[in-house]
Amino acid sequence: MRSILTFILFATLFTSCKKVIQLDLSNNADKLIIEGNITNQAGPYIVKLTKSVNFNDPNTFPPITGALVIISDNLNQRDTLKYSGNGNYTTNKLIGVEGRTYSLSVVAEGKNYSAQSTMPTKVNLDSLRLVYTIVNAKDVINVTPVYLDPLALGNSYRFIQKINNKLDETYYAFNDNLNNGLANQRPLRSGDPDLELIKGDIVQIEMQCITQDTYTYFYSLSQQTRGGFGGGSAPANPPNNIKGDALGLFSAHTSQTKTVVVR
Amino acid sequence: MKHLLIKTFFLFSLVVFFSSDLYAQQKFTISGTIKDSQTGESLIGAAVQIEDKLKSGVTTNDYGFYSLSLPKGKYVIKLNYVGYIEQKITLVLDSSIVLDWKMESRKTLTEVIVSSKRKDDNLTKATMGTEVLNMKDISKVPVIFGEKDLLKTIQLLPGVKSAGEGSSGFYVRGGSADQNLILLDEAPVYNASHLLGFFSTFNSDAVKDATIIKGNSPTQYGGRLSSVLDVKMKEGNNKDFNVSGGLGLISSRVSIEGPIEKEKSSFIVSGRRTYADVFLVAAPDFKDNVLYFYDVNTKANFKINDKNRLYLSGYFGRDVLSFSNSFGIDWGNSTGTLRWNNIVNSKLFSNTSLIYSKYNYNIKIKNGETDFNINSNIRDWNLKQDFSYYLNPKNAIRFGVNFIHHNIAPSTFTGTVNNSLSKEGRQSLENALYINNNYKASDVLTLDYGIRLSAYTLLGGATYNIYNKGVKTESIVLAKGVAGKTYYNLEPRLTANYRINDVSSIKAGIARNTQHLHLLSNSTASNPTDQWIGNSYNIKPEIADQISLGYSKNFSDNNYELGVEVYYKNLQNQVDYKEAADVNTAPDVESELLFGKGRAYGLEIIAKKKSGALTGWISYTLSKSERLIEGINNNNWYNAKQDRTHDIAIVGIYQLTPKWSFSSVFVYNTGNAVTFPTGKYNVGGQTLFQYSNRNANRMPNNHRLDFSATYERPKKGRYQSTWNFSLYNVYGRENAYSISFQDDPNDATKTQSEQTALFRWVPSVTYNFKF
Repeated sequence: MRSILTFILFATLFTSCKKVIQLDLSNNADKLIIEGNITNQAGPYIVKLTKSVNFNDPNTFPPITGALVIISDNLNQRDTLKYSGNGNYTTNKLIGVEGRTYSLSVVAEGKNYSAQSTMPTKVNLDSLRLVYTIVNAKDVINVTPVYLDPLALGNSYRFIQKINNKLDETYYAFNDNLNNGLANQRPLRSGDPDLELIKGDIVQIEMQCITQDTYTYFYSLSQQTRGGFGGGSAPANPPNNIKGDALGLFSAHTSQTKTVVVR
Repeated sequence: MKHLLIKTFFLFSLVVFFSSDLYAQQKFTISGTIKDSQTGESLIGAAVQIEDKLKSGVTTNDYGFYSLSLPKGKYVIKLNYVGYIEQKITLVLDSSIVLDWKMESRKTLTEVIVSSKRKDDNLTKATMGTEVLNMKDISKVPVIFGEKDLLKTIQLLPGVKSAGEGSSGFYVRGGSADQNLILLDEAPVYNASHLLGFFSTFNSDAVKDATIIKGNSPTQYGGRLSSVLDVKMKEGNNKDFNVSGGLGLISSRVSIEGPIEKEKSSFIVSGRRTYADVFLVAAPDFKDNVLYFYDVNTKANFKINDKNRLYLSGYFGRDVLSFSNSFGIDWGNSTGTLRWNNIVNSKLFSNTSLIYSKYNYNIKIKNGETDFNINSNIRDWNLKQDFSYYLNPKNAIRFGVNFIHHNIAPSTFTGTVNNSLSKEGRQSLENALYINNNYKASDVLTLDYGIRLSAYTLLGGATYNIYNKGVKTESIVLAKGVAGKTYYNLEPRLTANYRINDVSSIKAGIARNTQHLHLLSNSTASNPTDQWIGNSYNIKPEIADQISLGYSKNFSDNNYELGVEVYYKNLQNQVDYKEAADVNTAPDVESELLFGKGRAYGLEIIAKKKSGALTGWISYTLSKSERLIEGINNNNWYNAKQDRTHDIAIVGIYQLTPKWSFSSVFVYNTGNAVTFPTGKYNVGGQTLFQYSNRNANRMPNNHRLDFSATYERPKKGRYQSTWNFSLYNVYGRENAYSISFQDDPNDATKTQSEQTALFRWVPSVTYNFKF
C-alpha cells in the first residue's frame, strides 16, 4: 500500500534521479545459511547449507561440506541426509505427510543447529483466475489463486509465481486475518513495476500451506522494500525457526502447482 | 499513589502562592489590551515596561491582555514590540486604571524573523529552548515550491530537524515526530502535513504567530515529550475589508478578512488548494489519477463588552489521492475552537476553551474484482479553563484544568468479500491540573516554575489484552460505563534565568513531560496511515526528563545575539513495532509492540543578526539520540532513526532596496541513521541481504543551497503586490533520499547499491497580492 502511494506521488509530481553509488559497507558475513524444505510431494527433500558473503563479492555462496544433517519426525522416522554437491544434502527415505512434525538437526563446522516445523493440512488450490483491471486506460492482468480458506483461524499461505518459467521475485505471504473461512479473492500483485502479464504468457503458481513461522519469515521479507520510497520498515534479518546462529529457514509445507495461459 | 500525587500537587500550589512575596503596601493596577492600530489584531508578547525599571515589565498574553500592579506614584510606561513603533506615556497612578493601546507597525521590517519580541528578551526571560516565529517576514525565506511554510522554517532552528528532504515533518531534540504537540488555536493537529509531508497543514496567510518550545514548556502545556509548537491564527482586520492571496506553480491561496461590526468584531477566511493534478490530465499515462489537497482556515471574534470576548476558529483540510480507479486515499484534519475571554478583574484573566479535533483517513482499494476500505480516525473533545493571575509585578501565576475525551478507532477493514475485521474503538479521558508561576525574584533572577498533574483513564466499551513478550496472558473486558486503569503523573518544571550583566545571562531548566497518545509507525517517512494509540494495560505513559543549561549574550546594542544550550534527556516507556510486525491485519496491534527506553543529548548554538539591511542567523546542532528496546537489536542500544550528529543552517535575508530583497538558505547535515547490509546470501534462488546492528550506518551527508528574490511592486491605491522567485537546490546537489540494494540488472553475479535523489533545481514563482 505504501509503495503504491509513494509511487503515485513520485511518478506524478517529481522526477527523481537514480544512480549507482559505492558505499563503504562493513563486512560481517560468513554466517551459516540453512534452507530446508519438506513437502507433501514425493521426495527426496533437500537441505542446502551455504555461507553468506560480503556485499561487494560476486554472488557465489560457498557450500558447506562434511556436515551432519538429520531429519526426524514425530513418528520416529529418521533420515541422515547424504551430501549431493553444491551444499545440498538429500534425504534417502523420508516421506512428507500433512500434520507431521519434522525436526532438523545440523552439525556444521563444529556448531549445532536445530529447527522444527509441522506440515499444515492442505487447503486445495481449486483454480487460477485471471483478473483484469483498467489502470490508466491499460488492462492490468493479475492472477488470483482460488481456494476456500477453512473455518478455523490461523491458516497461512505462500505463493510462488513464475512467468514463462521466470521467477517473480515478489514475496507473496497471505494469511486469513481478513478473510477467514472465505474464498480468496486477493490477486497476486507483483512488487516489480516492470512485471506485466501479457496475452500468451504462461503463468505457473505454486501454492504452499505454511506454518506461522514460515509466514512471519516471508511476510518480513515482503515488508522490507529494500530501502525504497517511503523507507519501508527498518531492515533486519527475517525472524526464523532455527536455533543456533544461522540464517535461512526450515519449512514443512504442502505444495500444489497450477498453470494458466493469459488470454 | 494517586492520593499522594494529588496531595503533592496541592502542596506545591500553596507554595506557588505563598512564596510570592505579598507586600503590605497599597498597589494599583494598570491593565488593558494592546492591538495593531491598522488591523485591530491583538499583539501577543508585547512588552509593557516602566522606564528606569525596565526589568520589572510585563508582556501581553495570547489575547493581547496585560496587567501591571504598582505602588502609587508617577511613571513613564513604555511599549515595545518588534516591528512596531515604540510608545511612551507618562501617568500619575493613584487608582487602578484600564489602558488600551494601539501600536503602529513599521513600514518595512528589517528585523530578524525569528526573534523575541523585546530586543533583550533573550536575556531577561526565564524561557529555555524557545523561539518565536514572526510570520510577517517568513515569506522571504526560500522554501521548496515557493510555498512559504512555517514547519519548514522552524527546521532551520537548532535542535529542530527535518524528517527528510522537502518534508514538513520534524524531530525535536532526538524525539520522534509524534512527540511534538502541534496546536492550532489550542486544538491539537494530529497530522500536520499534506501530500505525504511535502507541505505543512498551516496556511501561512492565516497564521499570526508561532512559538516552539523544546521541552521546557510552562505547565499549561502537556501531553507530548519533545516540544510544543503553538500556532495562533489571525483574528481578522476589525477596521477594513481586505483580500489577499497568492498564485504559485503548485498551489494558490486567498484570504478575506474584515469587520463584522467595526472595531468590535472581525472574521477571516483563508483557503488554499494545490493543482498539480490539473497538469496530470495533460499526461495520458496519468489522466485518471487524482492528487491534490485543500485547506480552509476560518476565524471570527466578537466583542461582547469591554470584559468579554468570544473567538471561534476552525480548520478543515483534506488530501485526496487516487490512482486510476484501483486505489484511492483521502485524509485530513478538522479542528474547531470556541473560546471565551473574560477579564474578571484588572488582575485576573480567564479563558475558557471548548476544542474539537479530528483526524481520519479512508483508503479504497479495488483489487481485481473485490473492493475494500480501510479507515481509521481519532477524535477529541477538549474543555480547558485557564486563569492568569497577575498578582504583582513580580509574580504572574497561571493555573487551570483541562479535560480531553479521546475516541480512537484503529484501522479497520471493511469490504465486499472480506470478513470485516471489526476492531473496537477505544475511549479515554486525559485530564490535567496545572499551576505555574513566573517569579521575578530580583532584578537579575527570574524563575518560572510549576507543576502539572496529568491523569489518563481508560474508558469502557472495549477489550484490552495483556501481553507478555507477544503472548496474550489475559483479556480485560471493560463494559460500557466502567472505567479501567488510570495513570497519574506529576510533571514538575522549572526554568531559571540569571542575568550576569547588561549583555549576558545564564539559564537552567529541568522538566518532566508525559505522553499518553503514541503514533505507531514502522516507516521512515511520514505516512497518513500511521496509527495513533492511547495508553493501555501494556502501553504506559511515555515519560521524558530533560535538564538543560544555556548561555545568552548580546552584542552591539542587542543587534547580534548568541545563544548556546546543552541538554540531556532521558526517555521511558518508548513504544515501537517488533521486527516483522503485522501492522495492518493483526487482530490486535498491541501484540505487535515492544517497549523500551531512550536517551538524547546535544549542544545547540544560534547566532543571529537582528537588524540592519542584512539579517539572519546561523544555527548549529551537535546531538545524539538512542533507543534501547527489548527485542530489537539484540537488546543493545541503537541509534534512533532521527539521530544525526551535525546539523547546520545558515539563513540570510538582505534588503537591497525598499523594493528588492534577497534571501538564501544553506543547510548541511549528517545523514540519517540507517541499516545497511553487511553481507548477502541466497535462499530460494533469490539474493537476500544480511544485516547486523540496527541503524549503525549513515546515509551520505546532505547539503543544499536555496535562493530567493522578492520584488515588492509600488502600491497602487489599495493594491499591493509582490513577486517571489526562488530556486531550491541552487547547485543541484543530489541528496540521497533512499538507497536500495539489489542484484545488478546487467550482471546477475553481482549486487549494487542504488541511490535515489528527489529534487535537483526546483524553481518556483509566486505572485502575492493584497487589496
